[in-house]
Amino acid sequence: MTIYKPEIARINRIEKLTKTESLLEIELLSGKSLGHQPGQFVEVSVFGVGEAPISISSAPSDLAPFQLCVRVIGNVTSALCSKKPGDKIGIRGPFGKGFDLKHFKGKDILFVAGGLGLAPLRSLIWSVLKSRKDYGKVYILYGAKRPQELLFKEELKNWREREDVEYHVTVDVGDEKWQDNVGVITTLLPYIQFNPAKTQAVIVGPPIMYRFVIRELKNLGTPDKKIWVSLERKMKCGVGKCGHCQINDIYVCQDGPVFNYEKLKNLPEAI
Amino acid sequence: MKNCVVAKRELLDLIDRRIGEGKEVVAPVKQENQANFKRIKSTREILWEGPQTVIPPKAFLFPQEEELMEYEVNDEIKVKVKVEGKPIILLGIHPCDINGTALLDKVFAENNLDEHYLKKREFVTIIGSECLVPCSPESYCYRKESVLPLEGFDLFLTDIGDNFFVEVGSKKGKSLISEIARKTTPSDTKKLKKIRRVRDNLFDEEQRKLKPKLEDLPKLLRENYDSPVWDEHGARCFSCGSCNMVCPTCYCFDVRDYMELNLKRGTRSRFWDGCLLTDFTKVASGEIFREGRGARLRHRTNRKDWYLFEKWERSFCTGCGRCGKACLTKIVDPLDIENELYDRWKK
Repeated sequence: MTIYKPEIARINRIEKLTKTESLLEIELLSGKSLGHQPGQFVEVSVFGVGEAPISISSAPSDLAPFQLCVRVIGNVTSALCSKKPGDKIGIRGPFGKGFDLKHFKGKDILFVAGGLGLAPLRSLIWSVLKSRKDYGKVYILYGAKRPQELLFKEELKNWREREDVEYHVTVDVGDEKWQDNVGVITTLLPYIQFNPAKTQAVIVGPPIMYRFVIRELKNLGTPDKKIWVSLERKMKCGVGKCGHCQINDIYVCQDGPVFNYEKLKNLPEAI
Repeated sequence: MKNCVVAKRELLDLIDRRIGEGKEVVAPVKQENQANFKRIKSTREILWEGPQTVIPPKAFLFPQEEELMEYEVNDEIKVKVKVEGKPIILLGIHPCDINGTALLDKVFAENNLDEHYLKKREFVTIIGSECLVPCSPESYCYRKESVLPLEGFDLFLTDIGDNFFVEVGSKKGKSLISEIARKTTPSDTKKLKKIRRVRDNLFDEEQRKLKPKLEDLPKLLRENYDSPVWDEHGARCFSCGSCNMVCPTCYCFDVRDYMELNLKRGTRSRFWDGCLLTDFTKVASGEIFREGRGARLRHRTNRKDWYLFEKWERSFCTGCGRCGKACLTKIVDPLDIENELYDRWKK
């Protein structure tokens, strides 16, 4: 066993969520639970093609299967999404630092997800919803480019209907059936009345989104240390060696991908 | 471990005997007008006082291409990890390169042990030799406190006339020369001290000056993060990555899979990668997280003399001068950059 050797896992189920995203349910052949923290990632191997870092989309569980929400975008993800149930892949990890629930217990939580950012955020959202009474108010703001690109539509419906969750959704460009907000994700902030002093804000989305959402949250009075983000980088090795994911002096695969903004704001390469 | 002296002839004969027995001995040799590491057939081939080798000795511990594992994909997938080392004596290694290797030893052994590196390292014997004249106009090892090795060698030789003064760095080194080692005499030690005093003066005179104090480099780089120097130098960078390839302490790597045509058997290998290359931080979506050439140049320099310097309390630039020599447009040399930052900062 070395740090680079993948464990063999089986794809149990593949569900196509959109034209480009699929949800894969995966289980290690050892039958062991992955033992991850929400927000952590795994290195997924498609043998003969390569390895790619992918965030874990399911909440931690004692059960063996876990879920990855994968967008077809590169070699590995294309190969991965064309697999069939029963096919074998390799898994290393979980790696990195995820969301530590102790920072969120008893607090109000504002989730801000942009596009595929919902994939990692979903692991935290369901961790919170599974023991809902341990937390204060829960707000979920979700944005996508177009209605057909929205992920996890059944779950979005559930969040919309729940009385213990305040959910708002937006798209950049609507269609004739679209009845919700149209505009960038920050246009959802005026819909909610959150208390910045009591709320932990968690933002995951494309690189460009962070700057704008963080600026708005700060304008609304959210202190830096109550802002959490998860950053995308090229985590090639996952174990702090290969150098690709470095932001100034830190390795995203070791110190992140989840960061508190208080720390991140001093890293000029971060956002 | 105790220092000793060996007669030069006896040591070279001993190594030649080992070569005769089939031992792999690698040393710098002359190749065209440059120096390169090569497996030698006789110690007569060794280039003792040549320029720094084009490629540093890291290539023997962390090869440019290294197979990490092979696999077979059938109904089941079998993965066989390749963690291998073979005995090699690296002979005539300059102090800067011993120090560079010692830094790689640290990073590959940190937290997550990189067994691929460590297994190779276990089998390698490093016999260094002290440079008594500057090896090239580009080097500035004296400015980086790298004219002597701190650790990471098995034996370290200094030419004191008919003998080598030998610093013994490991049991492996000690046993290698046990049959020919003699106790040092006060006269040997005196000779060594004199040689080093002369060497220090010569290097101080001939090597380019580092204007800031060595220990102030992290501070200099921190306070000049937004200096225009980065983009001025970066504007002339070809993003060729030569500086990364030839650096004894650059250890970033990429990983690739190869599948045989039968699509049943494949391998996964790692390759040297470089933070000056445009695609180094590129993710599948096309986003490049360190896009500017100046920003990439800054990252490399900061790694050497700020980030890793602070973390390991030692500069990750040993002053070997390879990057300055390899750079096509002469913009990458950390000493040049640091001096320029310092000059403008002080104004």
